[in-house]
Amino acid sequence: MSGDGRTGLQADGVTAGYGGDPVIRGVSVRAEPGKVASVVGPNGSGKSTLLKALTGVLRVSGGRVSVDGREVTNSPPEDMARAGVGYVPQVDDVFAPLTVRENLEMGGYLLGRGQVGPAMEHVLAVFPRLSGMLRRPAGKLSGGERKMLAMGRVLMLRPSVFLLDEPTANLAPAIARELLEEQVRQLARHGSAVLIVEQRARAVLAVSDHTYVMGGGELRMAGTPAELQADPAFVASFLGGHVQRS
Amino acid sequence: MSLLVASVGFGLITASVLAIAAVGFTLQFAVTDVLNLAFAAVMTAGAYTAYAVNAAGMPIWLGTLAAMAACAVLSVLLNYLVYAPFQRRGAAPITLVIVSLGMALIVEFSVAAVTGGVGVSYRMSQGSTIRLGGLVLTTAQLAIIGISLVVMVAVHALLRYTRLGKAMRATAANRMLARNCGIRASRVIGLTWALTGALCGLAGTVFAIDVGTFTATSTDIFLILILAAVFLGGPGHAYGAMLGALVIGLATEVSAVYIPADYKYVVAFVILLGMLAVRPAGLLGART
Repeated sequence: MSGDGRTGLQADGVTAGYGGDPVIRGVSVRAEPGKVASVVGPNGSGKSTLLKALTGVLRVSGGRVSVDGREVTNSPPEDMARAGVGYVPQVDDVFAPLTVRENLEMGGYLLGRGQVGPAMEHVLAVFPRLSGMLRRPAGKLSGGERKMLAMGRVLMLRPSVFLLDEPTANLAPAIARELLEEQVRQLARHGSAVLIVEQRARAVLAVSDHTYVMGGGELRMAGTPAELQADPAFVASFLGGHVQRS
Repeated sequence: MSLLVASVGFGLITASVLAIAAVGFTLQFAVTDVLNLAFAAVMTAGAYTAYAVNAAGMPIWLGTLAAMAACAVLSVLLNYLVYAPFQRRGAAPITLVIVSLGMALIVEFSVAAVTGGVGVSYRMSQGSTIRLGGLVLTTAQLAIIGISLVVMVAVHALLRYTRLGKAMRATAANRMLARNCGIRASRVIGLTWALTGALCGLAGTVFAIDVGTFTATSTDIFLILILAAVFLGGPGHAYGAMLGALVIGLATEVSAVYIPADYKYVVAFVILLGMLAVRPAGLLGART
């Protein structure tokens, strides 16, 4: 637990889907304040479904989700935001017709009148590049700028938990690396618990404190990056190589 | 020449009435995802509400306020009792269009049943005649143009500068993301029905003032003009609807100088079809 009573996100045995057979079954993950937890796995393994279930977008048919010790299982998305969960979806992550400033204002929708300005200043200090584009429609931003805005929008509420769904998808490798190594780590440094779903296993391992591996809708492995990188099965499946023996 | 100038005057009045209706219709569509073809029928209900208040000896401005309140309530009820249940069951957009067409007939014939098929007019003075350049307008017609301008400015201010307006635009752009931000989208949608319903009531009353005598079916053709203005400007786009209303209002009335007046509404659709062929998203593109 952090000093301010935040305990982050805990999901126990979550089962969820789109109405028919469950897509994910009995998945348990944890994201702790100040740390980055990641979920990796091949396409169709249920990573995005897990995040949608954790944010109230999809109905959880089994298991339990809690944030800062409070049960929030199947709370609607607007209540999850109130509970301290910030979510950056993989696509449609900004309000394209609204300006950058308006996007940030919507991110701070739950703040009081006098709190929006200081929150925006904080976000612009974390993502200084957004300062010069406040009047630009979000739909006209580049992929990297757009993702930065999506994260800034969520940061407006200083959520306990950040859930990021493949933030580097469609980004050039250099921009993806910068996003993970600087901005995502920075979110954790500010005290949030970060749970990030990623296809780029090698890159996300470099910024993670703990990693979960999904396959076929279930949790296959879990451990620190060092533990996983020492596991021949993991290396062969996700890093495309062999375990380095010193 | 004087006929052309006079037609521009008529065009500005038609555009003014149309702009109020088209902005209400397009905002309703953008935020609620319902292409509500019952909009013009609800306008008629508003026009008759104003008539009932006016016939009871009250001034027409009080009747207008009553029409706005009645149409706000009727629109909220339409959503709550009909459209929202269909949406909760995952009805396709085309299904909702058909449902709204059914509601248009139900509302229109209900109004006809209550009021009878006789044409009615408000008890009000058209005011003195005012000459502006070559235009000759009555005080009532100038008031319609003035009301429309005030509504356009108010809608602009709502959408750009208020928390509710921005939440409406956010909900229109991406409803799930708006909910992820903590915006209670269902509340925003309910307020949108009330607000656009009030615009619908206002449009119905100024429409009735403009045409002089109206019946329960008077707004049938007007619905077509609303659709033309909305799709010309870009569906779901408030500023597009304002522009579309101006183009359609002027084009229909000015064209009547050169072609038989019976065809003036055809002109609106020729313009729309031309626009859809060249730029399917409309003059101002995607949603606000």
